[in-house]
Amino acid sequence: MIDKVKNGFEIRFPLYKLVREQHNYLHVKVDMVSAMDAIVMAKTSLGHNVLQLISTVDRIEDGVFQITWILENYGACTVLLISADFPRENCLVPSLSQIWPAASAFEREIFEMYGISFPGNPREGEDFLLESWKDTPPMRRDFETEEYAMRVFGERQPREHIDPRQYVGDIVGEWNTPMGRKRKEEK
Amino acid sequence: MFANFSSIALTILGALTWGLLLGGISRSVTARIHGRMGPRVTQNFIDLWKLFRKTSSIHHGGMFWMAPMFRITGAICVLIMVPLVVGQNITYNMSFAGDVFLLIYIMFFGCLGMALGAGNSGHPYAVIAVSRGLAQMSSYELSFSIAVVAIAVGLHTFKIEGIVAAQQAGITSWNIFRFPFASAGALLAFLPMQMAYPFGIVLAPQEIPIGPPTEYSSRMLSFMFSGRALFGVAKLILFVSLLFGGASSWLGLFVKTFLLYMYPVVVSSVFPRFRTEQSIRFLWFIPTTLALVDLVRVML
Amino acid sequence: MYCNQPPEKPGNKKELLEKITNMARANSLWVTAYGTGCGSIELRPLGTSRFDMERFGIAMRPTPRQADVLIISGYLATKTLKRVIRVYEQIQDPKYIIALGSCTINGGMYFDSYNTLNVLDKYLPVDVYVMGCMPRPEAIIDGFSLLMQKIKDGRAHGWKHYKENLDYYRENQKKIITDWDLPDYNW
Repeated sequence: MIDKVKNGFEIRFPLYKLVREQHNYLHVKVDMVSAMDAIVMAKTSLGHNVLQLISTVDRIEDGVFQITWILENYGACTVLLISADFPRENCLVPSLSQIWPAASAFEREIFEMYGISFPGNPREGEDFLLESWKDTPPMRRDFETEEYAMRVFGERQPREHIDPRQYVGDIVGEWNTPMGRKRKEEK
Repeated sequence: MFANFSSIALTILGALTWGLLLGGISRSVTARIHGRMGPRVTQNFIDLWKLFRKTSSIHHGGMFWMAPMFRITGAICVLIMVPLVVGQNITYNMSFAGDVFLLIYIMFFGCLGMALGAGNSGHPYAVIAVSRGLAQMSSYELSFSIAVVAIAVGLHTFKIEGIVAAQQAGITSWNIFRFPFASAGALLAFLPMQMAYPFGIVLAPQEIPIGPPTEYSSRMLSFMFSGRALFGVAKLILFVSLLFGGASSWLGLFVKTFLLYMYPVVVSSVFPRFRTEQSIRFLWFIPTTLALVDLVRVML
Repeated sequence: MYCNQPPEKPGNKKELLEKITNMARANSLWVTAYGTGCGSIELRPLGTSRFDMERFGIAMRPTPRQADVLIISGYLATKTLKRVIRVYEQIQDPKYIIALGSCTINGGMYFDSYNTLNVLDKYLPVDVYVMGCMPRPEAIIDGFSLLMQKIKDGRAHGWKHYKENLDYYRENQKKIITDWDLPDYNW
């Protein structure tokens, strides 16, 4: 089944990158300009008409947000993941809320957690999970979580770290040797 | 006069104590049926005292404050208009004052006051519960009234004293044996009166958490609890007088009310719940038909 | 309708009455059915026949109007704190708070989270802490018996403390709830 989907991508988007393939699972990566076209094609001609999730990864090393749309075809039991990289600075991603109204909720969540704007989403900016958040969006990797928690929720005694070997010795290592087993029997 | 007043006061106090105790016993019995230990028998007294001593700062308008008083008033009126123990004139209280129809009206009046108060509290759950409760009440009142009419027509008296007096010639003269169908209808209508399952749609703890008293707190809730206890005992005594020949002694009164109280408790702990329309359909068809059978038999 | 002054202390005449009432309060604890975190899943078994909290007179009430105890069951997000304050202030006096789990004591495993407050005592007066992650129902019953003992001894004064030090608590609450829209008095 997945071959048909793959063929469709090969014909329409010859520059796509294959990330992973299984018998009912395909993960492809396209460039940010053709992401919308790929999703629309997957919905209209490949039968992947259920949007399961929009996930985001903050790849700060490459300076991009990798956004993945997970589309499912319930009839054929196949899953299609379409990824695209978007530049981190002033990130703008086209909204899917005109195609799937449910995408609006995912996009609002991503806007709150990563600060990625989805132009075209009618409910963008409404409170979703965080109420009146004023700091850097908390899921971005340049957000210092611990520093923020210390600043807002107050000082907290750091956890004391105790190395068990310091107190009980290398018990496990000892017991696994023949010598250790013998010593244990003697005890 | 003084004897009469003190007897009424004692009746109310005793009914309150007995009602709370019965409530505690019923909680215990239900817990045992569930396989639990259950609370103490005196738990209801403890709850009542705690609620009475809590502060209260919730206000929802005048009717909100009146509702528990309506309920308590209705319960006391029913209580003092029914003779407690046959033969002991001091316990007849005010039973010369009215007939069974007045009693039915007063019972309805207490529930109506409660409904108005709960509606005034403005909580949506309370309003839903009130609408369900009134719908259900209109259905069980029908069968109960027909059963009472059948008994009254059969005995040629509407006075509760007369109904009790007509049953004093041994067990076979009890109305439950003389009017078996009407009694069955009235006893089936007793289940929704006590809000026992399968007719517990009013308090439905799953969807509309506790129904009418949702907004009531502390002292008002304690009044409401004592009102319910009093009303329960009043209904028990009314049923004992109507169907089970009254009570010839104090012991008989306690035993009869206790057994009658246990009947909805045991039934309700093994049944699931009817929806409103199911319970109305059941109450309009089966108990009403049963009561009508006796009414027609008596008329002929 | 509002309580603008701290509650009066019981005089000598009221001592005996207060003692009897405290016994009644201890043996009839009604809990607001409001779960804030993972710990509320450990509260449900308390009602079953295995643990049976009703034998101590503990019952669940669906509305804060009729309850005595508020259980903060586990981690508390800032967003939830707003609701918890509302619920707590609508409970009629006297009222008690039981806090479950290490999250309420010092943040627990969410100590560096962007959204979970660390020390609950700064925002609401806690009467009894039950430690564990999560405490089992036995431990919760133990916490209840501790609270009962405290009430019998007349030492469960969290609610009085809250009213007397309302400014302190409000300051802390407003520090983390940035869009404060509650009335200054809720009771």
